Amino acid sequence: MTRKRTHVVLAIALLSLGLLLTTGYAYAAETIPQPVAFSHKIHVTGYKMSCRFCHSSTNKSQFANLPSVEKCMMCHRSIATDKPEVKKVAQYWNGKKPIPWNKVIDVPNHVYFPHRKMVNAGIPCLTCHPGMDQAGTAEQKLEFGMGFCMECHRKKKVSIDCWTCHY
Amino acid sequence: MLDRRQFLKLGGATAFATLFGGCEKVQRKLIPFVIPPENYTLGEALWYASGCRQCPAGCGVVVRVSEGRAKKVEGNPLHPVNRGKLCARGQAALQALYHPERLSQPMKLSGARGSGSYKPVSWEEALSLLMGPLKTVKTEAPASLLMLTEPMRGHAGLVAGRFMKAFGSPHRVAWDPFGPDAMITANAAVYGVRDLPEHDLANTRYLLSFSGDFLETGISPVHYAREFGRMRGDRETIRGKFLHFGPRLSMTAAAADLFLPCAPGTEGIVALGIAHVMVRDRLTAAASAAGRLSDDLSPYSPEAVEKKTGVHAHDIAAAAEEFARNQPGLAIGGTAASTGQDGVFHCAAVALLNVLAGNVGEPGGVSFPNRAQAFAKYGAETPLLAPPPESGYAGMRAALEKMRSGAFRMAILSGATNPAFTLPPALKFVEALSKVPFVVAFTSFLDETTSLADLVLPVPTALEEWGDDVAPVGHAGAVTLCQPVVTPFHDTRSMPDVLIAAAKELGGDPAKALPWGSFRECIEKAYGGPGGEMEKALQRGGFFGESLSPRSAPRERKTSFPAARERDFDGDPKAFPLVLHLYPSVTLYDGRGANLPWLQELPDPVTTAMWRNWVEVNPKTASGLDLAEGDAVTITSSSGKIAAHVAFNPGIAPDVAAMPLGQGHTRYGKYANGRGENPISLLPAGETYALQATRVALAKTKLSTTLARAAHPEGQWKVKNMM
Repeated sequence: MTRKRTHVVLAIALLSLGLLLTTGYAYAAETIPQPVAFSHKIHVTGYKMSCRFCHSSTNKSQFANLPSVEKCMMCHRSIATDKPEVKKVAQYWNGKKPIPWNKVIDVPNHVYFPHRKMVNAGIPCLTCHPGMDQAGTAEQKLEFGMGFCMECHRKKKVSIDCWTCHY
Repeated sequence: MLDRRQFLKLGGATAFATLFGGCEKVQRKLIPFVIPPENYTLGEALWYASGCRQCPAGCGVVVRVSEGRAKKVEGNPLHPVNRGKLCARGQAALQALYHPERLSQPMKLSGARGSGSYKPVSWEEALSLLMGPLKTVKTEAPASLLMLTEPMRGHAGLVAGRFMKAFGSPHRVAWDPFGPDAMITANAAVYGVRDLPEHDLANTRYLLSFSGDFLETGISPVHYAREFGRMRGDRETIRGKFLHFGPRLSMTAAAADLFLPCAPGTEGIVALGIAHVMVRDRLTAAASAAGRLSDDLSPYSPEAVEKKTGVHAHDIAAAAEEFARNQPGLAIGGTAASTGQDGVFHCAAVALLNVLAGNVGEPGGVSFPNRAQAFAKYGAETPLLAPPPESGYAGMRAALEKMRSGAFRMAILSGATNPAFTLPPALKFVEALSKVPFVVAFTSFLDETTSLADLVLPVPTALEEWGDDVAPVGHAGAVTLCQPVVTPFHDTRSMPDVLIAAAKELGGDPAKALPWGSFRECIEKAYGGPGGEMEKALQRGGFFGESLSPRSAPRERKTSFPAARERDFDGDPKAFPLVLHLYPSVTLYDGRGANLPWLQELPDPVTTAMWRNWVEVNPKTASGLDLAEGDAVTITSSSGKIAAHVAFNPGIAPDVAAMPLGQGHTRYGKYANGRGENPISLLPAGETYALQATRVALAKTKLSTTLARAAHPEGQWKVKNMM
């Protein structure tokens, strides 16, 4: 093995270390597999449903919750019952089992992000989740670095104090 | 050998592997509910108000519920009994809710009675098993039905009482090991009111306690602890003084300004000594007016009292003078003073001091608000909703006789009082119950009593149940409302619910007496239904609006002099030189808390011992018996023999051995079983529940266990310095 190749190995190691330290959380570019191939496009763009119909705690809690299986079945007891993905949901419902969704969007543990504050301040959901109305299962199109938050906070002249988000 | 190049290469590869190995994404799951609980918001907590049922004090609680799970129990700041405070036992209600040994479905006996082997059955089958014998008993001999419960208050008591009346059986027995029977009898004699008094601690200037336990396990410890705090520190220039007389330095005694030890069973005599000085020296207006008592009081001169009680004559005279000078003053008796055949005498002697101080019905004194006022609309049925908090020991003994003679064909048991554990084995409760052909138990846990049943029906815990309550003291006219704070975890039904369903099936009188569809409906009908007043009251935790006008005690009446009665100790003083002093545990109460690890691990405030029971002896007595801290001893009485570890308490009379109640379970689950032996087995089968009237002997022995202490005993006091 040559000295050159050793240098390459070392360089990659250092680079990746640097990357990890600077970016914090690498965002998921690839689509994350989900137990049910839910389509946001059909529900949001097609049927003009409000995001908050399913994610009902966005204006009340720090978390945007996922809908309960019961909520899916409110409609899907009679709508599109022949579709294979809806059948999957019915299976969970009949077995009294929750749907184990995979988490797509996350912020690091050292960030406190209350959905409630953004939604109640009138920030549209698509500001941070662009393209969700056209997506199949949930995707994260934006990278939530600190700069992303700061840009908006400065523009809106709201607090940029460290303790607002990091406590 | 590695050369430099290979070393760098390996190093680089390792760094790469480490970094990128760590990057492998662990997929995190988001699992929503299948059916979310009511009023549920992810990440947001809701506080529900309800009532505490961990002991009979009747505090109000608020419970933090998040994601449909109860997370924390705290005192309800609006509730007049506890005003936002709560004791450890109340906090531990959560562990009862989540307890791994909780009964989740009905069970029927699958082996011999008392074997404890049960088979789970459905509610349909369980109800048919209940209704079969119930119908037969109803048609053939309705009076042969026994209902044995804890004292029930509120509409649960109404449902149980009406059910038994309509069924045609007068045999409804309630048992509470610490019911203040003697105090109620004494109050009837001295104040003319057959009820519990309210002691206005907050406004008193001078407090005399005769073995009082109002800060730990008395009638309403949280209420009185708060009032005591107000008495000490809430007034600008007055800090109430507190004197404690008693044979043991308890947690309450340790809070006193002056602890004056007296011989066991002489609290009433000390009180009469103080009364003697007050009347002799005409220290108060009431004492001067009560001059006719001087003949009765003449044998109780401080000098004579000193001989009997061991309290110095000058201390008694000084206490009398200070008590009279610092009005309003208050005298309080406790569990220790009210136990045994002589309990009424001690309580009456203490009450006499309040009369002589002239504080009856005054601020800072004793008053008798009408607890039952809220239920006045029930007329003659009011005592079902607000019963006097009597123990029912006499009723229990009578019921045992009948059980033995085969008078009962069916028994319905419920509650936490666990008579097989809390009654002296000499009374033979277990044997008597075996004479009852069919026994049904309503309970959340199998214990010494409920594991003797043929059919066990699981009930919801207090946090999952509807109900209402009126506290024995401190309620100020309030009615507590209880509501489920979480969806019931198991397939449970409350006892009133089952009784209502059973009455419906029996038809006739029972169905007419209990005309509701469920217990919830009964509560809602009683308080105006959902919407309107009741909804607001549920949010606040009850109806706290009306304050009660005190029911005035008759003033102009001849105060009868308490007939002096010496304590009749069981056992020969030569063979059994020490007096056994049993007291309710601050954490486990009568033993019902023993299956909750939070309470087991909580150190006793006096000895710092936990997870096991102990026997407190004076270091002097111990040195005579060649005992060291933590040694094992046998404790023998004429009725039984148990073993325990020794814990020194220099504040205990040298001829007393004290033990907390609550440990010694054999069938109460893995957290309660095998933690020492039950000291109640030392008690004789006497006419009173004499927790402090038995003589015992100690002898050194060996135990494979040790006594866990939160603090090293040597760190609390140097034993050598005490000698």
